[in-house]
Amino acid sequence: MAMRQTPLTCSGHTRPVVDLAFSGITPYGYFLISACKGEQGRNPGPRRLGLDGKPMLRQGDTGDWIGTFLGHKGAVWGATLNKDATKAATAAADFTAKVWDAVSGDELMTLAHKHIVKTVDFTQDSNYLLTGGQDKLLRIYDLNKPEAEPKEISGHTSGIKKALWCSEDKQILSADDKTVRLWDHATMTEVKSLNFNMSVSSMEYIPEGEILVITYGRSIAFHSAVSLDPIKSFEAPATINSASLHPEKEFLVAGGEDFKLYKYDYNSGEELESYKGHFGPIHCVRFSPDGELYASGSEDGTLRLWQTVVGKTYGLWKCVLPEEDSGELAKPKIGFPETTEEELGKCYGIDFCKKSLGGFKIEL
Amino acid sequence: MQAPVTFPVPVLRLPRGPDGLSRGFAPDGRRECSIAQESLESQKQRARAALRDRYLRGLLAMVSHQVSFTLHEGVRVATHFGATDMDVANFYVSQLQTPIGVQAEALLRCSDIISYTFKP
Repeated sequence: MAMRQTPLTCSGHTRPVVDLAFSGITPYGYFLISACKGEQGRNPGPRRLGLDGKPMLRQGDTGDWIGTFLGHKGAVWGATLNKDATKAATAAADFTAKVWDAVSGDELMTLAHKHIVKTVDFTQDSNYLLTGGQDKLLRIYDLNKPEAEPKEISGHTSGIKKALWCSEDKQILSADDKTVRLWDHATMTEVKSLNFNMSVSSMEYIPEGEILVITYGRSIAFHSAVSLDPIKSFEAPATINSASLHPEKEFLVAGGEDFKLYKYDYNSGEELESYKGHFGPIHCVRFSPDGELYASGSEDGTLRLWQTVVGKTYGLWKCVLPEEDSGELAKPKIGFPETTEEELGKCYGIDFCKKSLGGFKIEL
Repeated sequence: MQAPVTFPVPVLRLPRGPDGLSRGFAPDGRRECSIAQESLESQKQRARAALRDRYLRGLLAMVSHQVSFTLHEGVRVATHFGATDMDVANFYVSQLQTPIGVQAEALLRCSDIISYTFKP
């Protein structure tokens, strides 16, 4: 009698969710920001379809909506939070990156670019913002001097998909279609690069251990973030768009074109679980900073939260405790709002005893 | 072969979505609000704990005293209070003075009691 994963669907977006990011753990919990391709705007212009990306801020452990950052025109391709979730940054198809106050929802800065912006990342101290996009340039903005021109790093030969600070913000990692490059922040020069035969779909940086997670084709590869040397890689059953490594490096989760989420043991590479649930390709997946859950964003317009340990009480998931040993057969019950008549009927037809419930009681 | 039976993990509720009216970000500051709510909860919990503590001490103080219980239909009984069970579902009493005589030992069902009073 095992427990089955109940994903929590966060409503709000109606268009594909293309990026999501968690904040660090703050005294108020942790937070989640999600970016989507574009929802019906209030003032559709004559040239545009009027689809404005609406990045949303949510409480990280429950998925409860906190607010929507309004201001971008067009799809929002990248979204991130700073460590203490006081600021948010977004990258959009309207050729701007914006910095927001994540407590009030107000727009703080609009940073003009020459093309679609795809990626944004704060330094640990939130003083600098790294951006990258279709103009193939990495830009570093000093957030304390918003009027100043950003520092620019050139070298990429195709549009930048992801750019991240690493090694305590002393280096920068950036990915375009076929390469991943490591740059030194101080000298603004390239240190090393990796070439791929297939399009790089995502990149994640794990500071503890300096690990870089790169996905391309069906591969999920782990490299040293310092040397870019390969550590290991796994092959998934389908093309993977995003993968995330658990903070304690026990598991990794990945999702892609077959709409499924896969969970692997990081040490052995064994596939532990796979979950159906999304109705479209998964674009992004990330573990929460405490590793208790992971979030997935899909082409189907939903953001879903999944438990790392299925059946544990956390956030909105509630573990049910075993009944006191009374020597009688435990009555089968289910405490779950969507239980249908059919499920109840099936339940009562099954012979229960406390031992076979494996210590769980399900309340009606 | 039948697939193994699994049960979905129960959830308290679904995540709250946008309210459709505003862009959110509670004006009084969500962070202050949640901290205030938390301290309100813990205040309530402390208050409840204090009240329970007083109630249990009250029960202890009743032991070996004469207590007068008001039951349904305006029935009043005086008795010597003995003890309560763990759930405060039954009171063990002795020399229960009922309208039809004195019961040497009895269990009073707490759900039948409307009120009781005693002098310590």
